[in-house]
Amino acid sequence: MKNRMNLAARHLAAAWLLLLAGCGHGAAQNGLPLRIEISHVVGEAPLRLGDSYKTSAGDGWSAERLRYYLSNFRLRRADSTWFVNPQSADSSRGYFLVDEADAASKQFQIGPIPEGTYSGIEFLVGVDAARNSAGAQTGTLDPARGMFWTWNTGYIFFQFEGHSPQSSDAEHALTYHTGGGADSPARSVFLQFQTPVQVTAENSAELHLYADLSRLFDGAHALRPATLPTAMDPKAAAEVADNSAGLFRIDHIHKLPKAGLAQGQ
Amino acid sequence: MKRSTPWLFALPLLGMLAAMPWAQAWMTAHATPRLQVPEGWPVPRYDFAGNPVTSAGFALGRRLFYDPILSRDGSIACGSCHQQFAAFAHLDHRVSHGIGGVNGKRNTPGLFNLAWQPDLMWDGSVHHLELQPVAPMSNPVEMGGSLALAVDKLRRNARYPELFAQAFGSPGVDSQRLLRALAQFTGTLVSADSRYDRFVKGKEAFTPQERDGLDLFREHCASCHREPLFSDFSYRNNGLDAAPRDAGRAVVSGRDEDQGRFRVPSLRNIALTAPYMHDGRYDSLEQVLDHYSGGIQPSPTLDPSLAHGVPLSPDQRTALLAFLDTLTDESFVHDRRFAETHD
Ligand code: HEC
Ligand code: HEC
Repeated sequence: MKNRMNLAARHLAAAWLLLLAGCGHGAAQNGLPLRIEISHVVGEAPLRLGDSYKTSAGDGWSAERLRYYLSNFRLRRADSTWFVNPQSADSSRGYFLVDEADAASKQFQIGPIPEGTYSGIEFLVGVDAARNSAGAQTGTLDPARGMFWTWNTGYIFFQFEGHSPQSSDAEHALTYHTGGGADSPARSVFLQFQTPVQVTAENSAELHLYADLSRLFDGAHALRPATLPTAMDPKAAAEVADNSAGLFRIDHIHKLPKAGLAQGQ
Repeated sequence: MKRSTPWLFALPLLGMLAAMPWAQAWMTAHATPRLQVPEGWPVPRYDFAGNPVTSAGFALGRRLFYDPILSRDGSIACGSCHQQFAAFAHLDHRVSHGIGGVNGKRNTPGLFNLAWQPDLMWDGSVHHLELQPVAPMSNPVEMGGSLALAVDKLRRNARYPELFAQAFGSPGVDSQRLLRALAQFTGTLVSADSRYDRFVKGKEAFTPQERDGLDLFREHCASCHREPLFSDFSYRNNGLDAAPRDAGRAVVSGRDEDQGRFRVPSLRNIALTAPYMHDGRYDSLEQVLDHYSGGIQPSPTLDPSLAHGVPLSPDQRTALLAFLDTLTDESFVHDRRFAETHD
């Protein structure tokens, strides 16, 4: 009896050790993480919540809330193979909830990245279909964070709330929520690096992404607050979802020595 | 091995205790249901492999289901609207009656065999059993709060942190654990022991009238209310309105052809779950049969199989009603494991 208990306890301890090794500091063994920093801009100027901007069609808009998910990061190697950022079914690792109002959410790391030369990065604006229908989640994917629809359960991929004098909604509200559903997968973004990025045992990189909110209106689709004050279901929000994927560009990439990464999260 | 010997002396005592009626009641109330797939039933859609049912987890789910702590002001529990004696529907309430006495727009369905349902709610808006409670908890006319608020209240509560730790093996109250505990309760509400079930297994006989009723049912109703779950889980318009006030499935799909379509509801325990239909418009099964035999309203999305209604003679009506009564599962509504406990 006692022996059996001991055996079970030992198994448990071993499992814990494995778990700790798995989610802890694998970075040192497998490579360095890549840091990503996001700035929300309008054209070239930083976005300021509450400020007034204009679309090219002349409609005014302001943002009060801007939140979205980024996930399923992949890095393209020079030889066209991919490094796929690890995600695990039992945590929200690899799923990032970016919130303009929360500075910490705009800087995060993917990886660890194997040493090599990379030519571009790909990610989803939103959550992949498998995870979107996988039941109760934790961390950034905790439905208690409010990025979750109950009238058609699944995550809100991209949430933009503000005002426009041209909006016919109550209090001139402007509300764009995109989300998943059978007909509306999360949009994928691919950004080519101008010059390839080297990841070595000593150096990684920081990618500075700009998300340009003017392109939410003047993007692949021309959207006007005057004619589209609200988009809240997968069908109505399909064009908003397309445009949300067009917001991103690489502003610059800089080398990040191992020592610099330690200060990151 | 030696150390455990004294326990042997306790065994007869335990046996004596177990034979006492109150102890039996205690044991049934505390036994943990496992999801057993009744013979001939399909594979469940909800997979408990990711959320293994344990006695502490099930008991926590049951406690949460009956605890108004999940509502904003502590006035409404899941169990306020879902009553066991009504197969977890809300007896005598046309539409839900939530926080502050405000009415919702849909009728409270019974809760059973949920693990087999591909989607939940009348319009199929909820795609996963674990995530269903987020809907009533955050609905301003149901429990009026939010998932975050409920988690916060549970964390501060004197008893729950301990119960969560017992249920999940480590300390921590979070929304995933809350939702999984609730799913351990709602997902194991299996109702498969009606007279109909015993008839199908050859364990019990039907009267000739019930037999006629079953034949009529299979002829006119079973194409939608398919055995053994008594639903094919499709979305259909069964002709309630020429111009539906509730868009139903179209709310979720955004498609015009889904206007006025609702999920085919199971008819198990149907005699217990009045009133009927998504808006609770009919008080009795007689009225439901009036509808199918003479009240079908034409509309562009009406299901073609009901275009001419289901004409029924008085005898046929009585037979059909007798059959519907055999779908009542007395052992389910009296199962103490599913009842509110006060420990
Ligand atoms: C105010 C009354 C009310 C409360 C409180 C309530 N429900 Fe419900 N429940 C309803 C109504 C009404 C529906 C149908 C809603 C719809 O289809 O739009 C429903 C549907 C459901 C369903 C789907 C059943 C099916 O067949 O699709 C489940 C599961 C459920 N409720 C569980 C719960 C749980 C768990 C709680 C507590 C967290 C809860 N309910 C609290 C009224 C209520
Ligand atoms: C074309 C498919 C279809 C056929 C055939 C059909 N039903 Fe239905 N039934 C439905 C749908 C859909 C609903 C829910 C409608 C709503 O609430 O909008 C429903 C609802 C009901 C309800 C109310 C259930 C509840 O929980 O409120 C009863 C009872 C019922 N049907 C009995 C019957 C009987 C008896 C027959 C045969 C005479 C029959 N049905 C034939 C599709 C069908």
